Amino acid sequence: MNWERFLDALSRVPHELSIHVIMVLISLAVAIAISLPIGVILTRPRFRKMGALVMNILNLFQAFPGMAIIALTMPVLGMGLKPAIGALVVQALLPIARNTIAGLYGVDPNTKEAAQGMGMSERKVLFEVELPLAMPVILAGIRTSAVYVVSVGTLAAYIGGGGLGDIIVAGLNMLWAEFIIVGAGFGALLAIFFERGLSYLEYKFTPPGFTITK
Amino acid sequence: MSNLLKYMVENASIILDYASTHFSLIFSAVAISLVLWIPLGILISRNERLASIVLGIANTIFCIPSLALFSVFVTIPFFGLGRPSSLLALVLYAMMPMVINVYQGIKVVDKSVIEAAKGMGMNSRRILREIQLPLAAPVMFAGIRITVVMATGIAAIAAYIGERNLGRLITEGLTRYHVEMILSGAILIPLIAILFDTVLGAVERMLVPKGLKVSRSK
Repeated sequence: MNWERFLDALSRVPHELSIHVIMVLISLAVAIAISLPIGVILTRPRFRKMGALVMNILNLFQAFPGMAIIALTMPVLGMGLKPAIGALVVQALLPIARNTIAGLYGVDPNTKEAAQGMGMSERKVLFEVELPLAMPVILAGIRTSAVYVVSVGTLAAYIGGGGLGDIIVAGLNMLWAEFIIVGAGFGALLAIFFERGLSYLEYKFTPPGFTITK
Repeated sequence: MSNLLKYMVENASIILDYASTHFSLIFSAVAISLVLWIPLGILISRNERLASIVLGIANTIFCIPSLALFSVFVTIPFFGLGRPSSLLALVLYAMMPMVINVYQGIKVVDKSVIEAAKGMGMNSRRILREIQLPLAAPVMFAGIRITVVMATGIAAIAAYIGERNLGRLITEGLTRYHVEMILSGAILIPLIAILFDTVLGAVERMLVPKGLKVSRSK
């Protein structure tokens, strides 16, 4: 253990951590903005058939490793922070879209019918019945995406995206344990922080009636 | 596109070499995980307090970014660069899908079926072996499938800690800015992962006992 190196690594943390967090938040926001509406549209009666097909394709693409997406980004978008965010958005899309579709499918048809019977318009049924009931599942998708994006975000260092991966990569290149431990430690903490925070949100958003049956 | 094919054909022997290391890493990781995590999953299905602790640990490990976990083991003198570190990281990642699926597979077995077995005079060991495990098999296998597919992707990252596998095509391609090299890696790895996923998915469907198939499709 070399304290000077350790402190050097620590001094780089605030900068890299903020880049990492910004990278994760932007890509999550963009991914939510894209995949939530897609999920809603695909579960409307008009597109229902297509929804099942898209679901199958999304399931297939779940097997797509993050490193491959990062690697495929570089020849297309080049190097830097923006291409890295692009890759992370692609990565984050799938779980959110999947869980939105699954969550909306999971809403009891009887509940929807009851809402319609009460004279709610289709829009009102969506916003006041379907989405709130599907919210825990959708949030679970966002949580999966967030953890995933933090993880793949460390690989962004290899296409010039910066972030905590930079510290790890520097450590691996020089075989400096201090850099590796600092970079990996903060990466792990960040992922766990997102996981815990979002599962708390998920718990908060679960309608009270649901928690008993689980 | 033709450049890519040309590259792959010209370097077929290297790519095959990388692929075989890739597979050997995946298979040894899955084999070790089977031996470790299936008994652990069975154990925690009988002890709720232990279950919450073990599942919490598995969940936390699963969160850790793969590059971080791989490189942390490099700093431990005994492991260092290469196979032992990558194997350990993959086995630890497999803990979450395997343990949780074994645990849930056993837990979701219908209570009345177990009750009936008890009524027939089976002891808890026989219930486990003859009722719970066969009925949990499809769910357990789903865990193995997730593990294999996940390991295919994560194993590529082990190229950064000295594994000579398909991930090497990506890492080396990125440093050399060799687009064909990057592409061949970035296309082959997902292809293999999707292939594993499809094949193992078919096996999984075959494992479901006949009586359960109807209720599943509902």
